[in-house]
Amino acid sequence: MKKVIFLALFSISISAIAQSKYLTKTGQLNFEASVPSFEEVAAKNNAVTAILNTENGEFAALALVKGFRFKNALMEEHFNENYAESDKYPKATFKGKVDDLDFDDLSNEESNTSIDGSLTFHGVTKQVEGIPLTLKKEDEKIIISGNFKVLASDFEIEIPKIVANKLSNEVDINFRFELVKK
Amino acid sequence: MRKWIIILVIAIVVSIFGYNYIYQDHRDIESEQAEFTMTSSEINQLFSKNSTSAEQKFLNKTIEVSGLITDINSNDITIDDSVFCQFSNNLETSLDKNENIKIKGRVIGYDDLLEQVKLDQCTIINQLK
Repeated sequence: MKKVIFLALFSISISAIAQSKYLTKTGQLNFEASVPSFEEVAAKNNAVTAILNTENGEFAALALVKGFRFKNALMEEHFNENYAESDKYPKATFKGKVDDLDFDDLSNEESNTSIDGSLTFHGVTKQVEGIPLTLKKEDEKIIISGNFKVLASDFEIEIPKIVANKLSNEVDINFRFELVKK
Repeated sequence: MRKWIIILVIAIVVSIFGYNYIYQDHRDIESEQAEFTMTSSEINQLFSKNSTSAEQKFLNKTIEVSGLITDINSNDITIDDSVFCQFSNNLETSLDKNENIKIKGRVIGYDDLLEQVKLDQCTIINQLK
């Protein structure tokens, strides 16, 4: 009898854990390293995977570097071959934890918090702290969005002198994930 | 005078080639011949066993994958829970879950979080009934 109760409780707890996961396979991640009055250096990735555990606020995201699309095909080629070296480092990942937030309190009104974690790109992992996040809940979806800046030099991406005035070392990143309960 | 005309012609030719080089078109995956044709589980196994060697072999390559639809959204289809295919435009088909399908697309990598191979710029090759 005890065993049955244990198994019953165990299976309930498993389903409880499973229910606290929200995920997307089509998150959006854009970056821009443009310099005013020169050609736009910007790319979009619409196939970013992101998982949020609402029990403990753990968040993970993975973007495949080849999934970043530029308007200019040659720029995309240069990005993949010379800057991001996507054959060698095909993934960009983020792992972190949302700062104290009760996910049960989320509503269709935006709430603000921040996230700390580690960002890996081009084979370099860097700690990032206090990235501002905007969260809201809409039709059972948790929508997370925000933006932050990183320095290309922090990820050992060298910008050749010849293009240094057309390409910003400071890169603007913005993201939006519509996470669905799994 | 003739010298100047020749210089002008050369300058025009160089600038046309230069312009076409800088503003070249994106690859058109749809018109490319697939380098590999396999089932979704075959490619997924190659990536999950040894992602580095699979990446060397498949990254940025055009492939054709077949299998059963397990998930379908406005512009993506997942085959056998193992290959995720993203389409550039919204899908306009009557496809449904559990139908057999063959899709062509470009391999962009392996998603360790969901253990799925990701393709982008996909097109539907055929619907197998």
